[in-house]
Amino acid sequence: MNAIAPWGGFGLGLRRDHYHDFLSGNVAVDFVEVISENFMVDGGRPLRVLEQVRAKLPVILHGVSMSIGSAHGLDREHLTKLKTLADRIEPLWVSDHLCWTRTSAHNSHDLLPLPLTRGALGVVCDNIDRAQEFLGRAMLFENPSSYLTFPEDEMPEWEFLAEMSLRTGCYLLLDVNNIHVSACNHGFEAADYLAGIPADRVRQVHLAGHTPGEIVIDTHDAPVCDAVWDLYAKAMSMLGDVAVMIERDDAIPPLPELLTELARARISTSAALGTEKAA
Amino acid sequence: MSALALRQQEFLACLLDDATPLPAGWDTRRVAGMAVYRNAYRTRLIDALRETFERTARLVGEDAFRRAAAHHLITNPPTGWTIDLTGERFAETCAELFAHDPDVAEVAWLEWAMHRAFTATDAEPLIVSRFAAATAGFSPAQWEALRLRLIPGTAVRAIAHDLAKLWEVLGASSFPPQVERLPRPGYALLWREGERPVFMLIPEQNGRALAGLLSGGTFGEMCAALAETIGPAKAAASAGTMLLGWLELGLVQATETE
Repeated sequence: MNAIAPWGGFGLGLRRDHYHDFLSGNVAVDFVEVISENFMVDGGRPLRVLEQVRAKLPVILHGVSMSIGSAHGLDREHLTKLKTLADRIEPLWVSDHLCWTRTSAHNSHDLLPLPLTRGALGVVCDNIDRAQEFLGRAMLFENPSSYLTFPEDEMPEWEFLAEMSLRTGCYLLLDVNNIHVSACNHGFEAADYLAGIPADRVRQVHLAGHTPGEIVIDTHDAPVCDAVWDLYAKAMSMLGDVAVMIERDDAIPPLPELLTELARARISTSAALGTEKAA
Repeated sequence: MSALALRQQEFLACLLDDATPLPAGWDTRRVAGMAVYRNAYRTRLIDALRETFERTARLVGEDAFRRAAAHHLITNPPTGWTIDLTGERFAETCAELFAHDPDVAEVAWLEWAMHRAFTATDAEPLIVSRFAAATAGFSPAQWEALRLRLIPGTAVRAIAHDLAKLWEVLGASSFPPQVERLPRPGYALLWREGERPVFMLIPEQNGRALAGLLSGGTFGEMCAALAETIGPAKAAASAGTMLLGWLELGLVQATETE
């Protein structure tokens, strides 16, 4: 499987509210990320918009429906449509989540948590092997946010991810907000998570907002909070060149607000790397 | 079945149905976690339905729409990989739940057809002169066997209400909408014009003819059906007029003969 070389840059999710901004002008981002499934369609305006944006900027395809942790294997139709889109768009890379979304009978359309067991790891690795083989490219997988753990868990999530990447050659998309959310919900130390991640396998970082509460919920509907910015700075001091993006999927503000947040990510990255060099 | 498959089957059963007992021994923390997933499942899918069926929701009101959407998710739980298909058969759900207000199912059908046409395969319509050139030397047998391939996303439905007026009113904020019955039964015809799904109301005879073609019927079968309704003398002229109208609307993609 072809390696994905480290690539540094700062980007945003391409959402419908901002299509006009991206089509009519030059938005100061290095790349955009799109939800793959929104463009795995037969034709019409969405594909035309994506192709026009792609002519200006690198694009990352980020999926939500591969269900890489499904005990029932992968959906051939989904994979076929994803390959068609990837071949058409020539993205920087294709990513999805460490989760499952369906059984053979039903689809939840949600990113559901996996038991962190040796058995589940074997299923995930087999599925990743098949997906990468079918697509003809290495993929990235994102650490999920989760709201429950299973009694049968045998390892922490960071060990699961590290082993998964080692066995399949896949890369990692590190969602810093998801680490924070899961750390709050399950009571582990976010620093332990970061320390357990193989930094050289990370190619992308997500930043997003969440809803605090007794259970913290990953809602992507608010600015990145200070605790996540702090964790981001720690993460960036460990990582090499990575693509960093702000994810906003609900209560989407005007583009300048997101660009201001992205500017903070640029500054925080420079500061983190400067601190690392000084040390 | 593997331990993981069993766990996933059990988890999804809990997600789909609040009445399904949670696994034995789960503590309150896990119960609270499952409640988050249950809520997210319903909210996401109901939101997806509301986004697709915006006008249907306005027509019936928020509470009734939520109940209909929740009922639909129970009777038609999603099976496919794309959330875009959650609205499949929602018009039928509306026909069942709002049986005394058949306009609701008509609006829901129209919104679903628009949703599907929006991302249908791109195709260039056949212009009149090219159609004329393609069929110039046709024998009567070839006209009989002719099939018209319509632009992807094209759909027709028999209706009893003035959907054109209702659509406009539901797009604005003047409520409650006045639902007007058509003076005689008609059809709604929907297709995609460039990137934009559009629709118009057409006479019953025209709608029946298009429905026949969409279900794979030949031009000959269409003419025979017309002849039964309006007589053989008028049928040929009427078929020609309708065909020209469809070509001018940009509905025909290609001609096919056996």
